[in-house]
Amino acid sequence: MQPAAVYTRDRCITGIHGLDEILRGGIPYGSTVLASGTCGSGKTTLAMEFLVRGAIAGEACAHFTATEPSVKLLENIRQFEFFDMNMVDTGLINVFDMDVLYSWLGLEKSSFDLDDVHALIKAIVDIVNTIGVTRLVIDSVTTLCYKIKSEQLIRDFLFTLGKKLSTLGCTTILISEITSATENAHWSSFGVEEAIADGIVVMGDVERMGHLLRFLQVVKMRGTSHSRAKHAIELTPIGVMLTPMLKWGAQGDTKSRWGA
Amino acid sequence: MNKQYTFKEEDEEFFGGVGSFGVPKFDLEMHGGVPRGFTMVSFTDTGSGSELFGKQFTSPAEESENTLYVSTNEGRQEIIRVFTKYGWPLDINVRTIGEEYNSEVLEKELLASRFRLEGFRLEDIQRLAQTRFVDEKHHDYLTEVTNEIMSLGPYFRVVIDNLDFFLQREDNTKVVAMVRMLQAHAQMMRGLVLINISNEGLNPTIKQELSSIADMVLSFKVRTIGTDFETSMIVSKFRNAPENLKILVFRVTPAEGITPETVERIS
Repeated sequence: MQPAAVYTRDRCITGIHGLDEILRGGIPYGSTVLASGTCGSGKTTLAMEFLVRGAIAGEACAHFTATEPSVKLLENIRQFEFFDMNMVDTGLINVFDMDVLYSWLGLEKSSFDLDDVHALIKAIVDIVNTIGVTRLVIDSVTTLCYKIKSEQLIRDFLFTLGKKLSTLGCTTILISEITSATENAHWSSFGVEEAIADGIVVMGDVERMGHLLRFLQVVKMRGTSHSRAKHAIELTPIGVMLTPMLKWGAQGDTKSRWGA
Repeated sequence: MNKQYTFKEEDEEFFGGVGSFGVPKFDLEMHGGVPRGFTMVSFTDTGSGSELFGKQFTSPAEESENTLYVSTNEGRQEIIRVFTKYGWPLDINVRTIGEEYNSEVLEKELLASRFRLEGFRLEDIQRLAQTRFVDEKHHDYLTEVTNEIMSLGPYFRVVIDNLDFFLQREDNTKVVAMVRMLQAHAQMMRGLVLINISNEGLNPTIKQELSSIADMVLSFKVRTIGTDFETSMIVSKFRNAPENLKILVFRVTPAEGITPETVERIS
């Protein structure tokens, strides 16, 4: 009797140097991945490169920016060689300001109720469906969820959004702002995002001999085996570079909750 | 009040101590007109002619650039039509808050409802992706109108028809504070302010407060007599001239607009 063929899910190749190797080929299609990180850990750059690599492959991409105006985001990102403003101009990467979306939906208010949350989900799903978005980034889901006062509603929002986007075959990165990436830290601001996400990628800083090094660690990724080792991130003009940190061996690694 | 304004002697002579109501017979009944610096509040019944009286009050327009008619319900075209019909000056300042509200707030709300109900079309998404800034225009009509009136110079003439729009949308204490500011400004600049407010649904406390701020309180009433309507105007407060308190029945004529009846009815 022949052994059953091993089923592997189709992957969304991130195109980010080192990340696809960590994920054994990429993010499983349609996954919702929480990219949690402290400020300055490279979340936005990583997410934008994820879109750029998709756009280069001819995929339609969307970026919803809630933490900074899109004008500022684009000005900051265009200094990277991997980014080409033509991708935005030609509609391969569609950058949406959440403030504008709120205004268009009549959501210029301090807190959202159930109807508002549904309207927001419908709008995002509409956009994904209409222009055939296969790669989506929400930067950040933390800022967005601040307007949703109930934990249950946040859970519903993320679950429903994730489910609908997955059905549409859209691979999503939800950026989450956390204040600390140390062992006692949570991977999300509200505690519910991490339970709902298909994958969690944590980004933070570690001190090495007086230098603050950025690191990335894949904590969880449903549908694929992956490395759980800490990897150093370098934000270079040509893109994000990941290299394993293990062999650097340093003080404090034994304390790390995410050490391999 | 600390602030004082010095008026020119020739201006004082030109404008005089009283201004016309725009209704000659009413001027006579009020012993010449309305004293300069007065703020008048009129509580009105629906269909009692107060809107027309408001327009007629602007018709003397001693200085058209210093005369402002604020309408919260009518459109500019309708106002022009009425002014033209009666031959009242068309060069006064007119602010149509109702129209502004429709185009700036209601249309946006309607569009938001459509987006929420029907979703985005491809062209909406393309436009959304190209829109980088939110229209930050904040619609504080109460502050805008107050500032506009406060910027008017001496001997100004203002009509607000009517205050309901603000009372229904703003904190009522803010609206009362606005009337208080206008009253102080009118007193200082010897301006004339007429504010219409509907009787229906008006909070008695607010009515009481507005009545006490006003220098003159009018009520516009309408009732049926047989198959006819009878419209009347009651002057229930006239600061420092109680002899002016009156009940005047009036009719609307094509030539004069609102005209008090001087013939006393027997029945």
